Amino acid sequence: MTITLSGVSKVFGDFTAVHPLDLTIPEGSFFALLGASGCGKTTTLRMIAGLEEPTGGSIRLGKEDITRLPPHKRPVNTVFQNYALFPHLDVTENVAFGLRRRGISSVQKQVEEMLELVELGTLARRKPRQLSGGQQQRVALARALINRPQVLLLDEPLGALDLKLRRQMQLELKRIQTEVGITFVHVTHDQEEAMTMADTVAVMNAGRVEQLGAPDELYENPRSTFTANFLGTSNLIEAEIIAVEGEDLRLKAVGADTVLRLPAQRCAVEDPRAGGKVLVGVRPEKISLTHADDSETSDATGAIPEGSNLLTGRIRDAGYLGVSWQYVIDSPVCSEFSVYEQNVERDARLTPGAEVVLHWRPSHTFALDAAQDADAGTVEETL
Amino acid sequence: MTAPTVPASAGAAPPTDRPSPETGSSGDGPKTGPRRSLTPYWLLLPAGLWLAVFFVSPFFYQASTSVQSGSLEEGFRVTWDFSNYSDALATYGEHFLRSFLYASFATLLCLLIGYPLAYMIAFRAGRWRGLLLVMVIAPFFTSFLIRTLAWKTILSDGGPVVGVLESVHILDVTSLLGLTGDDRLLATPLAVVCGLTYNFLPFMILPLYSSLERIDLSLHEAARDLYAKPATVFRKVTFPLSLPGVVAGTLLTFIPASGDYINAQLLGSPNTQMVGNAIQKQFLNVLDYPAAAAMSFILMAIILIVVTIYMRRAGTEELV
Repeated sequence: MTITLSGVSKVFGDFTAVHPLDLTIPEGSFFALLGASGCGKTTTLRMIAGLEEPTGGSIRLGKEDITRLPPHKRPVNTVFQNYALFPHLDVTENVAFGLRRRGISSVQKQVEEMLELVELGTLARRKPRQLSGGQQQRVALARALINRPQVLLLDEPLGALDLKLRRQMQLELKRIQTEVGITFVHVTHDQEEAMTMADTVAVMNAGRVEQLGAPDELYENPRSTFTANFLGTSNLIEAEIIAVEGEDLRLKAVGADTVLRLPAQRCAVEDPRAGGKVLVGVRPEKISLTHADDSETSDATGAIPEGSNLLTGRIRDAGYLGVSWQYVIDSPVCSEFSVYEQNVERDARLTPGAEVVLHWRPSHTFALDAAQDADAGTVEETL
Repeated sequence: MTAPTVPASAGAAPPTDRPSPETGSSGDGPKTGPRRSLTPYWLLLPAGLWLAVFFVSPFFYQASTSVQSGSLEEGFRVTWDFSNYSDALATYGEHFLRSFLYASFATLLCLLIGYPLAYMIAFRAGRWRGLLLVMVIAPFFTSFLIRTLAWKTILSDGGPVVGVLESVHILDVTSLLGLTGDDRLLATPLAVVCGLTYNFLPFMILPLYSSLERIDLSLHEAARDLYAKPATVFRKVTFPLSLPGVVAGTLLTFIPASGDYINAQLLGSPNTQMVGNAIQKQFLNVLDYPAAAAMSFILMAIILIVVTIYMRRAGTEELV
């Protein structure tokens, strides 16, 4: 069922955890609330679960207003961050808990089916403390899913697992969601997790939704510096709009003579006009490097495609990651330009100290309002 | 499941990431030196010595006394006279019965009064928690005897408590139940039970509090999320998880209460005497040491049996 949050806010004392929030979570979707700790994502989830009462606004499930409904009356179940399994009950009784509370006495078959779904059939009589973290996670999932909730809420469910298990559980959760078709609302601070699993991601920052959309849309076309930096990495350059030419914008980077171009629809500034300041962004993997000596040649390998955005710089550092090379490049417009080059046919001259030309397609460029903090959402800022 | 091997193998045995403490008592293997394996014994030494001097030796001394016969003037000799035991039971059977009855009542009252309070302190007290806990143990700042004497004043004939209870006819009810009589509180079974309840209440509250306080609040949330009404959350989650505290609290109340004699002495009458009073009388007034020792052993045996049955029933090892 569709969840609709209208103007929902939460204030704790003098701290506003969630500013008035409007959010529609469509039925059957895998929806992720993504943000750093303290951004209000868990509070939002807890308000949907009924564990926290909103200070203002209303929450609807389908057509029904559930804002003041106590948690045990909501057709919503939660997978808690620390799983919150009942330590005095075995796996079967943990999973059967919700069914029994609703007066269903013949639970055995359903519990078995559910444990089958999460592949825990053999551990039905174990106590939670006898299970590994991954198994506890599955029990928590089974305990919530067995109730066939309208919406399943997941509060950082994979946070306590090690990396390998987390990857596996991501696929697992996605498979289960597709299988049962229930709306999943997933809270996470792990952008990769959100992007792999969710079909819609709401990026939250300081109690507000920064941007909402499909993962690729958020990644390819961020509308704020927070999204640009929190989801992956972005190179941001200060620039000034020098002309608006139909569908295209022409900009001049501050500190360089080069003219950059981008499609007007990829500019997050409302009504861009000449003279306006923006932050021009480009993702590191979109950029290609050509050694400065080859920049004038037009043969097939090192050629710079016609109409590319160009910048010059010098390689400061080159790191080998196996699948790719990561370069840090000093350029007049940006002191630490990140560039990821796929590890295919690498030009051996691209070593620290080499003069290079950076080039990328205008359609891979985006522009953001220059009034924001260019470092918002970066790792350093978040930690 | 795409690759079930990872969790399946991890779950084959209970997680063992916590290193088990080196007890040193058995099979330590060649790596641990002799010095390390002796450490636990050194740690046991002070308590061991203490118990040897003040528990084990009096235990055997009293055990031998309990099978002696003779008189104070002629001296007591071990004659393996087990009639001390049968005589004690025959003469003071009523005292034993009364002791366990009063102790059971007091324990029940302590649980009924203590549980809500411990629950409130653990979950609802917020910043008042520390203060409330201090108030729970505050009675210990004065002596047991003084506090019980104070109760004598509180319950005295013609006092305000008697007056109020009389005017609302509660005394009539309790007198019907045989707990009070003659429109008075003092020198009645009820007074003794009240005294026991009051004096042992902190021993109930503190273990209850500590087991309630350890309950992860997210378990309450999980239960509410899984359709449990507040009362059901308590019945199915909170109470079962607090059982270790209930067991510890009832034992800490019941055991000393059944051997107590101060409350019956100060608040009761000759008709409400407990086995503790009988033992005290035999030891200090009648000076029949063998009878007193035999009674002590009977008391101890009964408590041991009751407690063993209780612990088996409660199945505390299943919890926590």
